[in-house]
Amino acid sequence: MEILKQTDPTQKRSKKVFEYTNKIKLDQKAGLLYNDDQQLTQYYYSNSNKDVVFCKKIVKEKKMKRIVILLLAVTMLVPALFAAGKEEEKAVKVDADAPVTIEFWHAMSGTRIELIQGIVDEFMKKNPNITVKVQYTGSYNDTLNKVKSAVKAGNAPQVFQSYDVGTLGLIYSGIITPVDDAAKEFNLPIKWDDFFTPVQSYYKYQGKHYSMPFNSSTPLIYYNKTLFKKAGLDPENPPKTYADIRKAAVALKKAGIKTPVTWNLHSWYFEQMICLQDAPFVNNDNGRGKELPTKALINGEAGKKVLDWWVGMEKDGLFLDVGPGWSNHRAAFVSGEVAMVMSSSSDVNLLTKGLKEKGWEMGTGYIPRPEGAKGGVAIGGGSLWMTNTGTPEQQLAAIKLIEYISSDEPQIKWHKGTGYFPVRKTAMDKLKTAGWFEENPNYLTAFNQLLDSPESLNTAGALLGVFPEARSIIQSAIQECYAGKSVQQALDESAAKIDAAMAEWNTVIKQ
Amino acid sequence: MKQSTFKADVLPYVLLLPTFIILIVFLFYPAIETFRLSLFTVHPFTGAERFAGLYNFKNIFTNSEYLHSFGISFLFTLAVVLLGLAFSMMIALLLNERIKGMKYYRSFLIWPYALSPAIAGALFNFLFNPANGIIGYFTGHRTWLTEGSTAFLIIILAAVWKNLGYNIVFYLTALRNVPRDALEAASIDGAGPVRRFFSITFAFLSPTTFFLLVMNTTYAYFSSFGLIDVLTEGGPARSTNILIYQLYRDFFVNSKTGYAAAESLVLFLLVVGITVLQFQTTEKKVHYQ
Repeated sequence: MEILKQTDPTQKRSKKVFEYTNKIKLDQKAGLLYNDDQQLTQYYYSNSNKDVVFCKKIVKEKKMKRIVILLLAVTMLVPALFAAGKEEEKAVKVDADAPVTIEFWHAMSGTRIELIQGIVDEFMKKNPNITVKVQYTGSYNDTLNKVKSAVKAGNAPQVFQSYDVGTLGLIYSGIITPVDDAAKEFNLPIKWDDFFTPVQSYYKYQGKHYSMPFNSSTPLIYYNKTLFKKAGLDPENPPKTYADIRKAAVALKKAGIKTPVTWNLHSWYFEQMICLQDAPFVNNDNGRGKELPTKALINGEAGKKVLDWWVGMEKDGLFLDVGPGWSNHRAAFVSGEVAMVMSSSSDVNLLTKGLKEKGWEMGTGYIPRPEGAKGGVAIGGGSLWMTNTGTPEQQLAAIKLIEYISSDEPQIKWHKGTGYFPVRKTAMDKLKTAGWFEENPNYLTAFNQLLDSPESLNTAGALLGVFPEARSIIQSAIQECYAGKSVQQALDESAAKIDAAMAEWNTVIKQ
Repeated sequence: MKQSTFKADVLPYVLLLPTFIILIVFLFYPAIETFRLSLFTVHPFTGAERFAGLYNFKNIFTNSEYLHSFGISFLFTLAVVLLGLAFSMMIALLLNERIKGMKYYRSFLIWPYALSPAIAGALFNFLFNPANGIIGYFTGHRTWLTEGSTAFLIIILAAVWKNLGYNIVFYLTALRNVPRDALEAASIDGAGPVRRFFSITFAFLSPTTFFLLVMNTTYAYFSSFGLIDVLTEGGPARSTNILIYQLYRDFFVNSKTGYAAAESLVLFLLVVGITVLQFQTTEKKVHYQ
């Protein structure tokens, strides 16, 4: 793909080169595949001097790159071979009972700060030699930025929390230790089978788990049962498909609710609804393949279906555009302004309480899909990462800590306090036996939605290095559609922008 | 008059040292570092740098979205400066009257300046947000912040409101310096209030106006990030995505240090350029006492 990027017309390369690459693209579409060098040689014989020089340069650069990569691979391999011998030595060296202090930075605000501190205190009671300094370091984004500067300054925490969309970046960051590697090194196997499939598969990259699932959520549909009854809809049977939602919205509108449906402007829903159709978001195995993703596939059939429906409802006055952020759609739902919202499953507590204050009853349902779609949800939220800093003793303490936080007791406590679901099936079983779901039936919806999700690279969730940027591109595109742009055009343009961002990231991350 | 001088050679430098250390550490070094980084591509995690020449600049200036941000930043600044100065001058004139309880009026009108931009944003969000904004509720029109044109007007309004207090304080001080006898003499000569304002008061206010012109330009270009982050996040569809917000996103969210550095250099040159232009054109019309 290197050549395609370099011949972008905006970079003022020869027009001919651009035309030629277009031809290649067409050929590839038609099923003719040939590798870059062949393309170049073919071109090399068919064109003018200036372009030939340019192409030679590319070939040379490519060759250089290969040599460098080969050299790198060799230099990485040699110590690894030695390390194989060393490992046993290391295992002996680590004194598991020596007093050790580690730092843990997280991004959970408000009452969750106390909750995490409580969980960590419990951990320290069980491991008296380990002291954990817990610190709330602002939003996910702030935390990530602080970790980056701390790594540069040499005082990085041993454990930090990051968001789902930071995953690919961190995998290639060069500042972390994969959880599976640490588990192997210290011989502390992690029972990945205990975890919900979508939870563990999200953080698994090419067969290896890189971070420890911690706070996971999926979107859910929340609806106001009282208003559903008023509109003559069945309050025990939430809408399941795009057509169902639309039908319910029309009925609610007739019953006097001006704009019955809303959710906040967030690309997360769009991504999820692509997963539900078992379609990829980016190429190269949805970003989980051997090569880094280079092409956004959002402008395919799946993406178009989502936005045709979503934007269509907005245009017909069934959907209230509340803009970005996480408070407006909740407020609109709790005030009865709308009767149906999509939001994070971690909002169950908040929304149930809000509706109860008004004397209304709330129901939950799976997020909608087009008829016949066979995918599942991917999880969102955050996970715990280990940095590759500190002594072996600290690393050992770090993996013990994150393993503990993901275990049943803390996860149940976390679930009850926040609404995030526990990451392990075993924790769910314990909740079930304790009768938790009889008191709180709405929690069960999120679990069932997870259990009903098949494992595939598409439903594991896409990985791309420029995810935060891709999200704002998609959100802008949706707003452009509200303002009248055609869905296909908006998606095509966004895909092109994301492609450009990915191409750049793929180069920079290797420098 | 003979200027007094230090006899010792060293002492003045020692006395200047603390200031210079602060300036160098917190101002010059980061600025130079930023300018340097604008010529590199930077690894988003390790910070590894690779020289890229004008790559960053070339890309931002061939990006239609960046150019769009350029345009709306200019419009935004123009509106904020003109409206801000006009309103604050009017309010300052009113506040210069002698009526009962003026102290309190003054305090209330200066008060918005004490708020941080994020809080000001939250207040405007309270008024205009599409779910439960007060103004939306009473007017029945809820798309203030979700339609490009009105969202742009609202961030202008919020930015003007936020900075009113600052401008008013300066205008009030300047109004104290308008000589009463000149005004009285003019009214004896038969000049009406409008004539008196433009020929006398305005002339005496011109140095302050010029100062505020420069300060407000800087404010509009650099300090409105918080408002936008709270109110629109640069949307809808980038219609409020001014340069400083794009810069924030490129550095803090997209981790594109090279681009962010190039963008801040551009912003820096832009504001320096405008200020120089203002000095060369407007200052000639300024009347210093």
